[in-house]
Amino acid sequence: MIGRFRIAWKNLWRKKARTFLTVGGITLSSWVLVSLLGFNRGYENALDRDIDNMGYQLMVMAKGCPYEAATLMLQGGTGLRYIEQSTVDSVKAEPGVAMVTPILMQAYFDPNKGENGGIAGYFGVDAASYAAMKPFLRFKKGGWFIGENAEEVVMGFEAAELEQRDVGDMTFVPEKNVQLKVVGILERTGTQDDGTIFVPLKTLQRIAGTDRITTIGIKMEKDADAGGLEARLYELPNVQVVSFTQVKQTIMKLVSTARLMVFSIVIIALLIAMVGVVNTVLMSVLERLPEIGVLKAMGAMPGDIFLLIWTETLILCSCGGIAGIGLGFAFARFTGVLARRILPYAPKGGLVEIDLRLAAVTLAVIVAAGLVSGIVPAWKAGRVRPMESIRSAI
Amino acid sequence: MAKTRESAQVLLVAYLLFCLRPAPANAATGCDLSSPDRDVPRLFPGSTSYTTRYMSLLADELSSVVTRLDARFRGLYDPLNVPYTIYEIYTGKKKVGYIHGVNQKGQFGGIQVFVSLDLDGRITAFYIQKITGPSAGTFRTPAFGNQFLGLSLRDFDSYDPVSGKGSGKLPAIRNPAPDMETDFYSILRALKKNLILMDVFIYSTTRKNP
Repeated sequence: MIGRFRIAWKNLWRKKARTFLTVGGITLSSWVLVSLLGFNRGYENALDRDIDNMGYQLMVMAKGCPYEAATLMLQGGTGLRYIEQSTVDSVKAEPGVAMVTPILMQAYFDPNKGENGGIAGYFGVDAASYAAMKPFLRFKKGGWFIGENAEEVVMGFEAAELEQRDVGDMTFVPEKNVQLKVVGILERTGTQDDGTIFVPLKTLQRIAGTDRITTIGIKMEKDADAGGLEARLYELPNVQVVSFTQVKQTIMKLVSTARLMVFSIVIIALLIAMVGVVNTVLMSVLERLPEIGVLKAMGAMPGDIFLLIWTETLILCSCGGIAGIGLGFAFARFTGVLARRILPYAPKGGLVEIDLRLAAVTLAVIVAAGLVSGIVPAWKAGRVRPMESIRSAI
Repeated sequence: MAKTRESAQVLLVAYLLFCLRPAPANAATGCDLSSPDRDVPRLFPGSTSYTTRYMSLLADELSSVVTRLDARFRGLYDPLNVPYTIYEIYTGKKKVGYIHGVNQKGQFGGIQVFVSLDLDGRITAFYIQKITGPSAGTFRTPAFGNQFLGLSLRDFDSYDPVSGKGSGKLPAIRNPAPDMETDFYSILRALKKNLILMDVFIYSTTRKNP
């Protein structure tokens, strides 16, 4: 005995072109939907990874100019504000703080860089606490400074490559005329550390003629109350706090506009696909009215006819959905590259992450939308009067 | 209040873009002018336009360049197998020369040595785009750079920039910064590398369409 699924399949196969066009429409909708969902997840994960690579979740800096690094960039380091190093102990004493690392950023003008000179940036760090906060840092050659007053530098991979430095070579701090020895070169991390020159904190303080610092990086304890800690840190005198959760939210807000636009397109594509399904199945029902009439005359109940037509919808949507998800998997990388070109900021790594769970959700949405679209034609087919429909064919 | 929050957000994003910026990629690739639109007219007065070509050494060329540079000092010239940027200079529609730069390891950092060359391979301008060190500025003065004008690869036939010995015009060029002697010889080595590469890429006839 021939089953409902087989009848539905054969019916769809009778009008190949129409069936393929409908499946094509559903495929496109499904592709866009799965890619968007994959992007949603991928972008956030990539951003999380970038932020994790920073090593710290909170930064404390001097009140006044909120973002030291931006100042360094825009003013060549002349507008830097400092905080007392004793603030490190106050921060360390706060509950919820797992680790802290003091940082001194300095930028010096190098007149022999390019036609009009350029900026050479240095990060004064306490090797022990900085390394503890960034356990992923690995040395390509050499290691950290031998002492906290050592006249040495550790260079990020790109910085060493650009300056053609090797362990044992010398570097020169412009403006200050200080020579420092390269004792370590880091492996490439894909983060800002790659382009950084690290100097022992005390050495850079001596070079800069200050006993203060510019930044404190804070790693929180697991399950610490980030909001509460942030609020308590704000009570410290003359400091302000930058939370990377806040930074992430700001970026996500920027990206949400683009996401909203794409999501609107997905909705439109989904609606077009649904209309396509309704059209295809309804046409198929209208063309087969006499056949449906015969089926009913032979004893088929309205529910049987309804289910038969619904099965056709199910097949159309499942095929289109699976094909779209397949395309989503196949072109995830390409979609990521495209998104990277469009977005104002794109973190490193894959921007579109599609897994089986996401594929299942997409298929469920597509099939559910398809089945809803199939209700009208199926209901219409179920209500066909046998005698009238058979007579219409004569 | 809303305005303050808005500007804080802008700064926040600026900061983030700085912090999370991808590290500069391919620093070890050839050597580009930092601002070609500004630098080309300065290095090639009278030029009206330029095009940029990227060229790499073929396997057999690589070994020949290493030999010509002196294999004993290969480490000084590494890496050689990178793309090189060559600026082709035009006056109107007529090609009038080239600008080409190379990276060279210096005592305190990377050195970038550019030359402008006429169609016969003679130096018409000499420019050190980047050099680091206590007396680095002396190598960027016109007085130092002008000594190289009119020289070509042939001048290196009778001069060894590794030992600093030989005859011809090159030994007459004096080091303007005694505290940076290593860099002086590095600049000469960079110049030789630059001219050899241009000979391979442009002036020799082994390649089609120089």
